[in-house]
Amino acid sequence: MSFYADSKYPVRSDLDAVHEKQIDQLGDPGTWGTAEQRLAVAGEIRQACYDAGVQEKPDDPGYESDIELPEAARELIRELTLEPQGFNEESYNAARSGGLSDEEYVEMIGIIARLTCMDVFARGIGVPLRPLPEPRRGNPSCKRPASAKKEHAWVPTVPNLPEGGDDAKEMFGDLYHPYIMRSVSLVPDEMDRHRELENIQYLPMEKILIKDYEHHEGFTRAQAETVAGRVSAINECFY
Amino acid sequence: MPGGQELLEFSDALLGPDKDRMDQARLGVEDALGHQGVVAAAAIAATFTKNDRLANGAGIPSELRMLRNSKEIRHELGLNNFRTAANTIRHYPDEM
Repeated sequence: MSFYADSKYPVRSDLDAVHEKQIDQLGDPGTWGTAEQRLAVAGEIRQACYDAGVQEKPDDPGYESDIELPEAARELIRELTLEPQGFNEESYNAARSGGLSDEEYVEMIGIIARLTCMDVFARGIGVPLRPLPEPRRGNPSCKRPASAKKEHAWVPTVPNLPEGGDDAKEMFGDLYHPYIMRSVSLVPDEMDRHRELENIQYLPMEKILIKDYEHHEGFTRAQAETVAGRVSAINECFY
Repeated sequence: MPGGQELLEFSDALLGPDKDRMDQARLGVEDALGHQGVVAAAAIAATFTKNDRLANGAGIPSELRMLRNSKEIRHELGLNNFRTAANTIRHYPDEM
C-alpha cells in the first residue's frame, strides 16, 4: 500500500516512495545524533507546529520520544520551524554558544527543513501527518568531509571543484552546486536527502535553466514558480 | 495564468493557522487545476518550505551571478528589505 493511500489526490509513486523512506530514516542513527535524539528533534518540530496552529496533531503520531533536548536545541527548532523570517546570525551564535557543534547544528537544520517540508506536503494534500517511526539501535557515523571549510555561510561547507577535491567530486560530480545545494554539505547524508527531495518535488538540478520544463505533468513552470515565489516571500528568504 | 489566484491563496493558507481556509484553498486549486494540480502545488510549496529554512538556517548568501542579474526586480519587489538579505549584504554590499 502506498504511503499516501488515504489521499483524495493521487500522489506520484516516486514521490510517495521517497517520503516513506525519508520519514522512516528518521528512526535510524544519523551522522551526529542517535535515532532517539533525531526523533526527539522531530517531535519538537511537530509540537512547535501544533502549538502555533499550523499543523493538526494526527490521531496516530507514531513514536513519541521522552528524552529532553538541550535548551539551545529546542530554541533552534522552534525559531527556525516557526519563524524562518527572523532567523539570523545571532540565532546561529546562540545555538553554538548553547553547546551545539557545527556538525550537530547542520544535522538539525537538515531535519527541520526536511520534516517541515514533508509535513507541509501532507497538509497541502489534506492528509494527517505521517506517524514517526520507532528508533533503531546504532551509533552515529560521525562522518565529516575533510574539505569542509568556512566559505560564505555561517557553517562550514564543502567547496565546489576544484577546491573541494575528492569530497566535491564524490558529492557533486562535475556539476557546479550553488550554495542552496551545498548548505548542509557538512553532513553528507543530509545533503543527499535534501537533494533527493529537490529532484522529486521541484525538478532535477540539471533542468533548472530549461524554462518550459514541466516536472509535474500539466503544471507549468510559471505555476510552479508562482507557488515557490509566494512561499519564499512569506518566509522572507532572500536567497 | 490558469489557477494563478488559487495558487497564491493555496500558498498563503498552507503556511497559516486557519484549517478551514486551507481546506477551501485546496478545493480552489482542485477546481482550477484538477487533482494533479493540488499535488504539484503541495510539492512545490513543500520544497520551498525546506529550502527557505536551509538558506536562512545556514546563513548562505546569494550567488554573485544571481545578484547581478536581479538588481532591478529586487528593487521593484522590495526583496532587499527581507531580513535575511543581511546574509548577502555582508559579503556583497556593492551589488545590492
